[in-house]
Amino acid sequence: MRLLIGLIGLAAAGWGGALLLDFLQGAPPDDRINLGAWLIGGPVLHDAVIAPVVGVAGLVASRLLPRSWRTPVVIGVIVTAVLGMVALPLLWRFNPSPNPGLHDRDYPLGLAVAVSAVWLIVLVSGLVRQGIADRWVARWRSARRRSRSA
Amino acid sequence: MKLLDRLPRADQFRSPVHTPGVSARIGMWLGIAFGLCFATGLLSHGIQHGPDWFTWPSRPISLYRITQGVHVISGVAAIPLLLAKLWSVYPKLFERPAVRSIPHALERGSILVLIGGAFFELVTGLFNVAQNYPWRFYFPAAHYAVAWITAGSLLLHIAVKLPIIREALGEKAPSDSGRSALGRRHFLLGTGIAVGAAVLATAGSTVPWLRRVSVLSWRSAGPALPVNRTAKAAAIEVPAGWQLTVRGRDRTVRLSLAQLAALPQTTAELPIACVEGWSQSATWTGVQIRQLISLVGASDTASVRIESLEKSGLYRASVLPAEHVGDPLTLLALRLDGEPLSPDHGYPCRIIAPSRPGVLQTKWVSTVEVRG
Repeated sequence: MRLLIGLIGLAAAGWGGALLLDFLQGAPPDDRINLGAWLIGGPVLHDAVIAPVVGVAGLVASRLLPRSWRTPVVIGVIVTAVLGMVALPLLWRFNPSPNPGLHDRDYPLGLAVAVSAVWLIVLVSGLVRQGIADRWVARWRSARRRSRSA
Repeated sequence: MKLLDRLPRADQFRSPVHTPGVSARIGMWLGIAFGLCFATGLLSHGIQHGPDWFTWPSRPISLYRITQGVHVISGVAAIPLLLAKLWSVYPKLFERPAVRSIPHALERGSILVLIGGAFFELVTGLFNVAQNYPWRFYFPAAHYAVAWITAGSLLLHIAVKLPIIREALGEKAPSDSGRSALGRRHFLLGTGIAVGAAVLATAGSTVPWLRRVSVLSWRSAGPALPVNRTAKAAAIEVPAGWQLTVRGRDRTVRLSLAQLAALPQTTAELPIACVEGWSQSATWTGVQIRQLISLVGASDTASVRIESLEKSGLYRASVLPAEHVGDPLTLLALRLDGEPLSPDHGYPCRIIAPSRPGVLQTKWVSTVEVRG
């Protein structure tokens, strides 16, 4: 089973490689370098920039944020970053689209609204979690007081 | 050597998200997203550049709208999944020794190919739907070739890791403890929420009831039918006294717009579904293609080549396969929502057929030619 999946995978990747070589042979040298940079760019950018930033941000969050706020805030940061990435091609344009009805929304405003909604949810869930945590602490204290006075 | 010493070591990543249980779960969802994306991409490629044996049905009318919508939405969903998956396995990058054996080197190499291909497909796809092209190469050919490489190296990766995946999915999750930014369950939850947010922000491009919600959609919030290529961009000049040429095997007929309008008209609600993932239904009125070619004595089992007034451009001509020619909803449309076509929508007439990519719905038609 594993062998079969592996062989199918090798064959598919090989076919893709052949298609890519064929495509590259017809392309001017500059385009080949450009394509090569795009192929290797993802892993390099991720391993050298994105992942270290995530790691440092996670460390900071785990040191600074109180326990009940940690999960909502960290998830809020994740969602904000993902929305930012999805918005990037719409906000940072190399060649404006001339086509009516396409890509003509107010994307900065849309992103701002979406991110505001995310942080509103973060705020509410943080307050709720803190409320629950406070109640537990209060209950624990009063239970301890009662056990002492008994 | 000093730089190597400064790099973190794999065992310094102590968060519970760097465990096979998390990697396997996110990997499974990422695999499903990539699988859907690859399969629907192959279909779209087959419709446009497929071999002769490939046929694509004309019904249901929204079939292509759905498959291409799935293609783009599964691609968007894969962005947070890929990042979460890579964060989960990131410590493996710092394992020492970096290479233990030749098979180990090959495996690490294949993972580099997989990650490079995965980023390439998602990033170029995302920029392409925004009609934003910060590269020099021809996108469709590169995106297609790298799709095969990525799918193949993904299968290879699954084959290599299958025992670990099985074990990780089978075992019970250990309880979260310690001071990490997110515990294991909350990391999975956060990934899920990020996927939901990214999908919600974009899916309105093709899902009508999400149109107002999807603030990062690639099309207008309004009900108007978008235009992907304007008459100006295509340098269209409709000559005075324009006539449509209908060429059969041994007969040719020329029809003016008034003569076309005098033929029996069919009205149908059909979607335009772009390869770039947006879609929009509209009400079209025009002449059935099968009726048009009957004027030159051809039956609806023939395929038909459509040519545009456009002089150059990759999509100036298209071929309607017999499957679509025979469909009574495949029209040479003269009107859109009751009004004559505007220049940007293809005046004097355009093709609109059920379940086809938008680029094949040829506008500004000059010639309809019956083929074998």
